[in-house]
Amino acid sequence: MIVHLWQNIDYVASVVLFCIGLYCVITKNNLIKKFIGLNIMETSVFAFIVALGVVDGGDAPIMGAGARAPFTNPIPQALILTGIVVAVSTTALALSLVIRIYQHCGTIEADELREME
Amino acid sequence: MTPSSLLVGIIVVPLAGAVLTPVIGGKAGKHAWTWATTVMVATSVIAAALVNQVARTGPFSAYLGGWERPYGIELRFDEFSASVAVICLLGLLAIVFSQKYAAKELPPARLGTYYTLLLLNLTGMLGFVVTGDLFNLFVFMEILSLSGYALVAISGERTAEMAAFKYLVMGAVSSLLVLFAIGLLYALTGSLNMADISDRLTGSAEVPAMLALALLTTGFMVKAALFPLHVWLPDAHAIAPSPVSAILSGLVVKTGLLGMIRVYQIYYGAKVLDLSSLNTVLVWLGAISIVMGAFFAIFQEDIKMMLAYSTISNIGYIVMGLGLASQYGIIGATVHIFNHALIKATLFLGAGALIYQTGYRNLSDLRGVGRSMPFTTAAISVGAISIVGMPPTAGFLCKWYIALGAVQAGHPVFGVALVFGALFIFVYYIRMVNSFYFQAPIHPEILEVKEAPLTMLAPVLILAALCLAMGLLGRIPLSFIEPAVTRLLGTLGG
Repeated sequence: MIVHLWQNIDYVASVVLFCIGLYCVITKNNLIKKFIGLNIMETSVFAFIVALGVVDGGDAPIMGAGARAPFTNPIPQALILTGIVVAVSTTALALSLVIRIYQHCGTIEADELREME
Repeated sequence: MTPSSLLVGIIVVPLAGAVLTPVIGGKAGKHAWTWATTVMVATSVIAAALVNQVARTGPFSAYLGGWERPYGIELRFDEFSASVAVICLLGLLAIVFSQKYAAKELPPARLGTYYTLLLLNLTGMLGFVVTGDLFNLFVFMEILSLSGYALVAISGERTAEMAAFKYLVMGAVSSLLVLFAIGLLYALTGSLNMADISDRLTGSAEVPAMLALALLTTGFMVKAALFPLHVWLPDAHAIAPSPVSAILSGLVVKTGLLGMIRVYQIYYGAKVLDLSSLNTVLVWLGAISIVMGAFFAIFQEDIKMMLAYSTISNIGYIVMGLGLASQYGIIGATVHIFNHALIKATLFLGAGALIYQTGYRNLSDLRGVGRSMPFTTAAISVGAISIVGMPPTAGFLCKWYIALGAVQAGHPVFGVALVFGALFIFVYYIRMVNSFYFQAPIHPEILEVKEAPLTMLAPVLILAALCLAMGLLGRIPLSFIEPAVTRLLGTLGG
């Protein structure tokens, strides 16, 4: 079991990071900390998907004179580039919302905001 | 026009329209409304052509860049994708409705942004239902979610921004669950094409396939606001501007359910897992959703808050129908996705017209409004009896089918739960209709209010007429969707 987990340490690390992020999203009171938790989750998923494409000793899949098999799989990396763009726009939107909430309410602590409602 | 160019067109036309809105709309967004309406009319024509095509020839695909499955990105149009018709219809009517509403409720500087976001949101949904590629599905889901978060916050009020933030956090977590599952499925099958994944998943390892299924289900059910994952919905839907509420409640939550249908298509086809335990959970959560949504709605004073909770009930009906996994159940659920979109848009747009004209949004303040705004309140009443499920309206047929599905699946007790839920729903809608027509007004000036302007009244009346028509002509959508459901269940029974 432990050997099995050790061999897949990259996947284990992503799952652990995912759970840490989820924990932050659920338990943190400060809206920005909540969002940092979300960013940790995003990063863990990205790391997981990029790790899927890695081949031991693999080369960059660029065809040409010096190309030598095996190649790493480029598709996960292309996917994650798109994923990062999505994550950046989510972060931008969330942070601008946090700024607006701070301007309106003078606080970004979730419990104080709830009292104001 | 060939079917494949139409399929590309239904995404490209509204997307280009959205991107060009700030340019064409001008500084204060003066022409934004005209432009957005034009774009949606064009998109609706394409949608009509696509639905006509699928009715004549059955499902068809377009391969982007000429790369066939599984290498390229496939756009696939099947009977479930015919929801483009209702997306375009509601999108068009909501935009028409917005002309006066947005001009009054939003700061003028935001008008251009408003129509851009609305078109982007519709693009995301249209792309979501026609794509055959799992990662593409994720990207379109993010387009529609991000524009949705921004639309909730667009009025710039404090409560709106807080509701949007809550919606964003829940939505982003659910998107990540879906993305994680897509990664897992890619690791298992080496493919991102949904039909191809379904073929290759057969005989793969059970535990990761189960994990992916669990993540996809949870992710999509957060988007669909199934109890107990609904906490973001009431605030977001009630606080958003009324045309946006109609889109969010009628369409955006449905994308979670359509996503779930895609998941079923993958997993039923692959036969890698026995889905009966998942279905049991969904049927139970659906039943609890119906009752809890109705229960919370009874105590709401705010008319839009009440409608928002009623959405949770109706999502419960649809999820229950899907979970029953019987022919009638799934047909009923799918048709209810279409019909509930029409009904809820009638109600939200009607409520928007009332709020626009009177300035009140509490049921007690709105007492007596039936005498001064007879057409709007009549339309809302049609929507109300329709959502309760009384014949001969749109809501009756689907609920009848879902109840038949419960009997067919051998669980008649859920049919009873369904009728019980409908009674609950009846209670709070009768309360609404009662305060419109039969109670003495608290504010005497409400009797002096004029009927809503034509750009608001027309969409509401068209939708109310459709609620009735869909009840009387109910055979058409039912027989239209039947082959798709037979195919889906055929792969299940084997």
